[in-house]
Amino acid sequence: MSKMHHHSSHGPLQAPGRRAVLGGAAAAAAGFALAGCGSDDGDDEPKGRKKGEKISLTFWSWVPGIDKPVDLWNSKNPEVQVKVEKVSAVDGAQYAKMHAAIKAGNPPDLGQIEYPVVPSFLIDNGLLDLTKYGVDKYKDKFVGWQWQQSVFGKAVYAVPQASGPMGLFIRQDLFDKWDIEPPTTWDEYEAAAKAIRKKGAWIETFSATNGNRFAGLAWQAGARWFGSEGDTWLVSIDDEPTRKVADYWEALVKQKLIKTIPDRQNAWYKDVQTGAMASWLGASWGDALLVGNAPKTSGKWRVVPMPQWKKGDGAFANWGGSTTAVFAKSKYPQDALKFAIWLNTDPESIKLLIDNGYGTPAAKQGYTTSQLDVHKDFMGGQEYSKVFDAASKGVDTSWRWGPATDTLYQRLGDAFTGALGDGGSFRSVLKKVQGETITDLKEKGLQVKAG
Amino acid sequence: MRRPTHTEARSARAAAGFLLPFLALFLLCFIAPIGYALYESLLRVERTGALGLGGETKEVWAGLYNYTHALEDDRFTAGFGRVLLFGAVQIPVMIVLATGLALLLEAASARWVGFFRTAFFLPYGVPGVIASILWGFLYVPGISPLVEMAHSAGWDVDFLGRSTVLWSIANIVTWQFTGYNMLVLIAQLKSVPGELYEAARIDGARAWQIAWHIKLPLIRPALVLTTVFSIIGTLQLFAEPKVLKPLSNSIDSGYTPNLAAYNEAFTSNNQHIAAAEAVLLALVACVLSFSFLRLVGQREPRGSKGKGGTSR
Repeated sequence: MSKMHHHSSHGPLQAPGRRAVLGGAAAAAAGFALAGCGSDDGDDEPKGRKKGEKISLTFWSWVPGIDKPVDLWNSKNPEVQVKVEKVSAVDGAQYAKMHAAIKAGNPPDLGQIEYPVVPSFLIDNGLLDLTKYGVDKYKDKFVGWQWQQSVFGKAVYAVPQASGPMGLFIRQDLFDKWDIEPPTTWDEYEAAAKAIRKKGAWIETFSATNGNRFAGLAWQAGARWFGSEGDTWLVSIDDEPTRKVADYWEALVKQKLIKTIPDRQNAWYKDVQTGAMASWLGASWGDALLVGNAPKTSGKWRVVPMPQWKKGDGAFANWGGSTTAVFAKSKYPQDALKFAIWLNTDPESIKLLIDNGYGTPAAKQGYTTSQLDVHKDFMGGQEYSKVFDAASKGVDTSWRWGPATDTLYQRLGDAFTGALGDGGSFRSVLKKVQGETITDLKEKGLQVKAG
Repeated sequence: MRRPTHTEARSARAAAGFLLPFLALFLLCFIAPIGYALYESLLRVERTGALGLGGETKEVWAGLYNYTHALEDDRFTAGFGRVLLFGAVQIPVMIVLATGLALLLEAASARWVGFFRTAFFLPYGVPGVIASILWGFLYVPGISPLVEMAHSAGWDVDFLGRSTVLWSIANIVTWQFTGYNMLVLIAQLKSVPGELYEAARIDGARAWQIAWHIKLPLIRPALVLTTVFSIIGTLQLFAEPKVLKPLSNSIDSGYTPNLAAYNEAFTSNNQHIAAAEAVLLALVACVLSFSFLRLVGQREPRGSKGKGGTSR
């Protein structure tokens, strides 16, 4: 400051000037920025909480109404306050944010992570092996295959929360009006698609970018996209069951029996509202989605089991479902795990989660199936959760996810987008994505071969 | 070597003092990120341990591997082709439109100039993402009144189809930036001394002759500037395709180079390839901008520089 006085008194007759002032402000801002960057991440070893110490855990989630059970926990646990930070779930934005936070070294303590993407966090060493903190003793509280989704080797990386057994939502009123039977097999589904088309409506859409659902369809048909052999990942996206599925949907598209618009966006919601689309192959969490986006169609919907490849079979698949994971950098892993277990097993918490529509609980106990019929009126009084409950039992539990599912979905989306555009075959999509996925895993520094 | 005098040393210190804040910010916000991107683009990740889980993750030197990988990726190179096509069509259309509007609003007979200038400029104030959402509503069938009207006129348009969606994006960009470019051109028009027009009129020039022979040559620097900015902006296309992607079955993850880099970084979690793609994008933007400047620099009529110099 004194220096500036000195200078201005000797220099030409000008005030210090706007520039100097701005410069000073900028320097101050830069100082802040620098100070902001220099966060201390000195010790990596989590300390754990001292008795009586008050701590706060951050939890990234997008589940609607997740704050309600968290509020309940907070009122019961004044020393361990959990702070929910809502993250966007559009287009995988939440995982982009989590990966970026891991790379930057400042992830939250807990995160909502879907089953398919758990492995992609493991290869970044982003999640904590919870066996160190005694997670094993809770194993029996959860449905076996859902627990298994987060088990790699001897390590357990997440606490299962919910799953999404698939089922077919249909507009019963339209099916009745047009005298069409709800399809029980994929052949009947095609016949129904034709009949509905004759009435000017559509049975569904094949969304090029919905790799998640396509995986479910392959899963039902008996595909095994990922496996392992020793230290090597096996990839078999272009296997016979998946080819069967691809051929089937390609035929529907080529015959113009099905739309090709992306799902769960404005035009799709409009079709659901107006009945231009008479059914939706969804999952157990889909009730809340329909209620929220097509409230005026209340009472007209029913749920029937996912169509089968062979009449009378009981093969089902899962779409969605997620876990509560503890990030590797959490300072209070013990408390974070305690919260994760409570959130997903405590009956009061489960009730609050169910009321907000989060899927089919991963916990074995603490709720009844009828409790899941939250939107019974919307389904015309049907006890529709029984359909999903039965489906849940028929899910092939040997399905495993690979370490780059987000990329895989993107590859599938791009390849299907291309095929829809230039009329390429769906089999060529599988061949392409199989090759790309092997390359992608190699890129990530993993050992991989075709399965 | 002459020792600096006391005063010189003092003023050098003062200069350094004034420069420092700028340099610090410049280094921190500009040079450092570019340097970091370059550095990241030369590394790749290696993993050990069973299936890559729970083992060591380390970054190793990759040389130019990420660059060759990016250039061998069809999606990424196709994205470049797409933005080049986009630029070749959209930039001329927009610049011609902006010039036309600027000339009209600066014409002697123009009325309501203030109102129209603001109205044309207004879309620039709407953030790109919001603009894309707004236009998205106008493109999506079932919701869009435009699609509805076209349909009732017996014309089934699909704004989001494979052959149309690029031009639907061009429409958003044109809507957003024409007014902005117009304003830059108007600012330059305003600096043309009135005597020139007066002299031209005395010589018997008509309005369009004044526009063609006086106004356009004199706003040439502004035209070059807006075109260069538009070239750079086009190469960086991101928000529009990103927002329209969920609505369209024709936009893939590498639709534009920027989108490809974003998806590499944040979907595939592969920052190293993303960094290489970003560096390549910056290089192409540099090359294109400078070649354009060179091109127009060569065509500069002889002596115009001298004239410009004396008139100032």
